[in-house]
Amino acid sequence: MPAKNLPFEEALKKLEGVVETMESDELPLETLLAKYEEGTRLVKICQEKLAEAELKIQQLEKDAAGELKLKPLPPDLSEG
Amino acid sequence: MANLTAMGKRPKSQWDFGELFPTEQTRKVLSVSELTAQVKRLLEKSVGSVWVTGEVTNLRAQSSGHIYFTLKDAAAQLSCVLFRGEAVMNRSVLQDGQKVLLQGDVTVYEARGQYQLIVHAVELQGVGALQIAFEKLKQKLAAEGLFAPERKRPLPKYPQRIGLVTSPTGAAIRDVLHVVQRRNPGLNIILAPCRVQGEGAAEEIAAAIRLLNEFNVGQASRLTVQDQGQAGRLSYFDLILVTRGGGSLEDLWAFNEEVVARAIFESTIPVVSAVGHEIDFTISDFVADVRAATPSAAAEIITEGVFASRRLVADLMQRMARAHPRRRMNELLQRLDDSQTGLLRCVKQGTRDRAVAWRNLADRLLRVRPAQLLRRRRESLVMNRRRLRELMQVGLRDGKNRFAAAESRLHLLGPEQVLSRGYSITMDAATGKVLRKAAEVKSGQKLKTRLKTGEVLSRAESTASKPSDKGI
Repeated sequence: MPAKNLPFEEALKKLEGVVETMESDELPLETLLAKYEEGTRLVKICQEKLAEAELKIQQLEKDAAGELKLKPLPPDLSEG
Repeated sequence: MANLTAMGKRPKSQWDFGELFPTEQTRKVLSVSELTAQVKRLLEKSVGSVWVTGEVTNLRAQSSGHIYFTLKDAAAQLSCVLFRGEAVMNRSVLQDGQKVLLQGDVTVYEARGQYQLIVHAVELQGVGALQIAFEKLKQKLAAEGLFAPERKRPLPKYPQRIGLVTSPTGAAIRDVLHVVQRRNPGLNIILAPCRVQGEGAAEEIAAAIRLLNEFNVGQASRLTVQDQGQAGRLSYFDLILVTRGGGSLEDLWAFNEEVVARAIFESTIPVVSAVGHEIDFTISDFVADVRAATPSAAAEIITEGVFASRRLVADLMQRMARAHPRRRMNELLQRLDDSQTGLLRCVKQGTRDRAVAWRNLADRLLRVRPAQLLRRRRESLVMNRRRLRELMQVGLRDGKNRFAAAESRLHLLGPEQVLSRGYSITMDAATGKVLRKAAEVKSGQKLKTRLKTGEVLSRAESTASKPSDKGI
């Protein structure tokens, strides 16, 4: 599964599952290592999604043709 | 001077110019009724039907069923009457001290010469009126099921994109953006701006909600898994936040209007309503899927999942590191060491214990003095052996004696003695059978005779038996 496209909630759920599996004593060593790799990948995905620090706000408008369009707004516009 | 004439005074002086300026008799003398009627007509024509506001005082209901009261403000007062037959809503609103809005006709009550207002409609003035309207709409919409708890949808836990319905210049949007920046700046916010108070604001709010829904439908059809607002939901927006800052009941009134309630009800996207202060509850709060006490509180609720997930991810990372194979191996090795140490201790202890037990046994053994026992046993053995020997010898001697005795008896009984006396034994030479009877012997039979010394082989010549032998 192409990991980059994974939505945040799914990545988080998968990560929880991997950690729980790793913590149960049942795993043979090779599986443990594979799970660790998968978990590391999932952590990265989650962290990337959480790392977005730039607040993005847009405005929805109907243009002259009656089409709905998004117009970007600077975040401090509302401070006015 | 002319006046004097008109008034009927005698024009007797030269200065009396009464004739020169004849005045018409313009005096019109009215009766009281006529005057009153005139005034009444005038009032009814030029004032007539009005809306008037003031405070109710001096309210009294007569036995006739008509209600009389005085409507006053700071500088004037107006007599009012509400006739019994008048179909008026809110009749009960008429109470002393109540500020009311009346609709009625100005006229004159001729019998008293008093102008008055005949009341046709009564409304509460100001906040009171709004409150009644609020209650009525609330009941109506509740009966239609707009507030039903079953229809309230849960909010997505990790919303990635939301619609915002509010004024672009108000305090609410500022508060919301601050909270979101702090807790989940990755949240995608799309604003559908509108006025949040005043004439027509309700229609703008409803239109903004509808606009976001319209856009949602258009975008949802083009969504890939990647774009989805939330895993598993084919919706461009995860939720809509409808919000404005605090204010009076009149300020918030737009959010109590039916058109807004209907727009929220029909929204296919879940709606969060955060209008005014903590204690304000608007109709939009009741219809929405979630109500928040303030715009900031709404933003906190919306960003809670993602905000908490930072902590969760950090936690999971830690747990994963702890579960890492190398860590696990080290842990196991340490436990192995511990076990080994424990085992060693046990063995040492065991050896010590066994040594002690061994010593104890040895002591007990010594106490029993086996050497002594052994000596005693050996002595008794020696003694017994001696006795055995003695017994044997005695036995042997006895035996010898008895043997000798037996031997001699045997000897006596044996044929040797008999033979030495001259007797002989005759046998059949072939069979060795001893012959006792002559009759047994045939002539010519080979015979063997044993003498004391040696044997004699012979042949029978003839035999003869004694008569006494016959009976044998």
